[in-house]
Amino acid sequence: MINEFKEISSTVSNPYVTRWKESGKAVIGYSCTFIPDEIIHAAGMLPFRLRGIGTTSLSIGDTYFGPVICSFPKCILQLAGQGAYTFLDGAIIMNGCDSMRRLDECWRKAGDDYAGTLPQYFHYMGVPHKVTDYSIAWFEEELNRFIESIEKHFGVKITKTALKNSIRLYNEGRALLIELDTMRASEHSPITGEDATAVILAGFAMPREEYTRQLREVISELREAPPVLDGRKRLMVVGSTNDDLEFIRLIEESGGVVVADTMCFGSRSHRDLVDEKADPLTALAIRYLSHKFCPRMFGCYKERLGYIMERIQEAHIDGVILQNIRFCDLHGSENGIFERDLEAQGIPCMRMEREYGPLVETGRVKMRVDAFMERIA
Amino acid sequence: MKRETREYQYDWNIWSIIENASLTYDGSPKEYETLLSLVPHFRDALHAIIRQGEPGILFMKQIATYLKSIVSAHENGKKVAMTTFCFAPPILYAFGVVPLLLEPMTVLGTFILQRGTSEYLDYCCEVGFTETSCSSQRGALGAYLAGLGVRPDMIVCDSPGICDTNANSYSFASAYLDIPFYQLCYPPTLTDERAGMFHRQDFMNLISFLEEQTGSRLDIDRLREIVAEIELQNELINEFTEFQRLVPSPIPPIFNLFLYSGNFLMGGTRDFTELLRSMLKTIRLNASRGVSGMNSGKERLRGFFSYIDHYTTDLRLWNFLDRNEISHLGCILSTFWGDEAPYSSERTDAVFTMKRDSLEDMIDSLAMQMSRMPMVKSIRGPYDAPNMWLDDTLIMTRLMKADFVAYFGTIGCRNTWGMVKSYARDLERSGIPTLIMYADAFDDRVQSWEAVMDKMSEFIHLRGLGR
Repeated sequence: MINEFKEISSTVSNPYVTRWKESGKAVIGYSCTFIPDEIIHAAGMLPFRLRGIGTTSLSIGDTYFGPVICSFPKCILQLAGQGAYTFLDGAIIMNGCDSMRRLDECWRKAGDDYAGTLPQYFHYMGVPHKVTDYSIAWFEEELNRFIESIEKHFGVKITKTALKNSIRLYNEGRALLIELDTMRASEHSPITGEDATAVILAGFAMPREEYTRQLREVISELREAPPVLDGRKRLMVVGSTNDDLEFIRLIEESGGVVVADTMCFGSRSHRDLVDEKADPLTALAIRYLSHKFCPRMFGCYKERLGYIMERIQEAHIDGVILQNIRFCDLHGSENGIFERDLEAQGIPCMRMEREYGPLVETGRVKMRVDAFMERIA
Repeated sequence: MKRETREYQYDWNIWSIIENASLTYDGSPKEYETLLSLVPHFRDALHAIIRQGEPGILFMKQIATYLKSIVSAHENGKKVAMTTFCFAPPILYAFGVVPLLLEPMTVLGTFILQRGTSEYLDYCCEVGFTETSCSSQRGALGAYLAGLGVRPDMIVCDSPGICDTNANSYSFASAYLDIPFYQLCYPPTLTDERAGMFHRQDFMNLISFLEEQTGSRLDIDRLREIVAEIELQNELINEFTEFQRLVPSPIPPIFNLFLYSGNFLMGGTRDFTELLRSMLKTIRLNASRGVSGMNSGKERLRGFFSYIDHYTTDLRLWNFLDRNEISHLGCILSTFWGDEAPYSSERTDAVFTMKRDSLEDMIDSLAMQMSRMPMVKSIRGPYDAPNMWLDDTLIMTRLMKADFVAYFGTIGCRNTWGMVKSYARDLERSGIPTLIMYADAFDDRVQSWEAVMDKMSEFIHLRGLGR
């Protein structure tokens, strides 16, 4: 089953998406974990997180974006321009960071030049960078507008009951993933970081009911599985977007196992549950905006450091890899302070800047990880 | 960082240089000429300012006063707030807080220090900040991270959602130095009621933060004086902009730098009003004579600088413009969107109005002013949305009769580099020759000034401008 998750994680589309489309239902792409999947799901659509996996050129991405921009949105745009995202009925972009929010304009402009590559439904969502009563109220209104725009465009109705059901379903999946995190962190971790990442990633690209069913089975199997550590070092990977299994595999080939992470696309995506007792929209606004694991939520460094420390202690981490995609100043500079503060507490750290997309830097990355493993040996 | 660089406090060093430079013209012209030879590293920059006569000398003296207020803040019992250029300072002045603006501090270091701010830029990276971050903050921030300057009491910014790279610098400084932090953040829209409500609530929260940090309540009488001063300044700025529309423009190119620097550092203070009045005296005289603001009195070309200017190497951009008789028609930094501004008539919903009948009026006015600050207004949403960058640029180029648009920025600017190619394409399609400079306005190690100058000259030549 994990192999199927791995296949899904390694490609843009997958058989589940194909079958979903064949059944006449819509697929909606979204750019960031601050956009609630539950709303799309409650509309009877498949939420699909946008990725740039498998990109082999940046000819289109570089045409619209400038040269000093993160390669993640460039790769998404490249795939979109090549027609890899024509299965999307809609896309939602938000102000995750400067580079990602400019995907809005760049994709629209590319859509003018490459006919048929811009989804017919294209929505921009504003998400505040702080958590206050008025920012939550504003965000709740923004979510309400999002619902109205989906209803209007697709001729559907998103009821409160449907939202509550979707929240329950997504919470169930999150609870299972948190259990997966706990297993990874345990003394006898039964799963490699590469496999765990595949399990998490598949959830962004599969119908949730099916995903939760398979996830439950995987968790059940893992409860009986033998440990994978075999004397290898316990690593944690922190930082910006990674949806590349090869990157984690490369790290683990150097003699460690990634038993915890706080990466975007990784474990931090599912850490909080939505309050099932409150008004569904209010609960979604609170959960998603209070999700402060991304440095886009400015001024919350201590909370993020506290969370990392918690995970380090829980998972008995031997070393932390602080990685970021080049030009991601938010993660990159916060990694700099993490390094200072974690090293001061005797936790070995390695900072690494890399490119998103095809792992062309294998040699450099491997050499650095090897050196780090020697340090913590 | 070199040991000798650590010998001096950055802000004290800049202050003492500017303070002394501002006195150079107090003597005779001969004494001034002699003094220039003693300051070889920034004589061109100094002369570019001083040769403007009264406005230039006044500008230097006021900058010296501003810098002194920073270095002496704590001994005078004042708090210092590290902040950004797009944060309107009047609310800080109303609390008696001294604003310490990183970007202008970087500009000052860039044009008066022998090696610019390169060591401070690099020091940021030594302590963990990314080398790809914006140089406009890094230049001065490096000094403050190294403890080579006054320790700020608080950090406030208004760039989240506007320029996350900018906001990140302040967030980093807050985390690194463990200093209280407040952010104003902005919705992607500007004029709808929701956005207005958010601006107001966020600004009210800022006031609470300032009250907490200073231990004092907002002084209403002082606030009223400041708001009245802003009203007056807006009138003068509007007059300045009206003159900028004339062909030839009677405004010396460097006055635009004085205009926005003054507003960023001294907005709402009497000093800034005095500076505006002084510049307008020169401008009115030029206009009455029908000459341009250039040394030659002629005007060959009119350029709108759609983002920022280029500050490296002795302020040579302005000399280049003057020498080539190119009028500087403003940039994003000098468009403030007061309600009577010439460019505001086409966008009456996008402007701010100062009112001072009640405390609520004044707070609302300042919140609106803040939400219309350079960058905060224009690049918060998609560049081609109403009231955003493309719209603003088209208005300005039409109003100012610009022959071309030039983009200067920094390599750290994700926000503009994320869409400047499409923006330039849209401008070209509107018939406006547009130049994108792949340089860094604060770090000439990225591209030398000579290369920038060549590129501009080549652009003007190839596009057949000014013939």
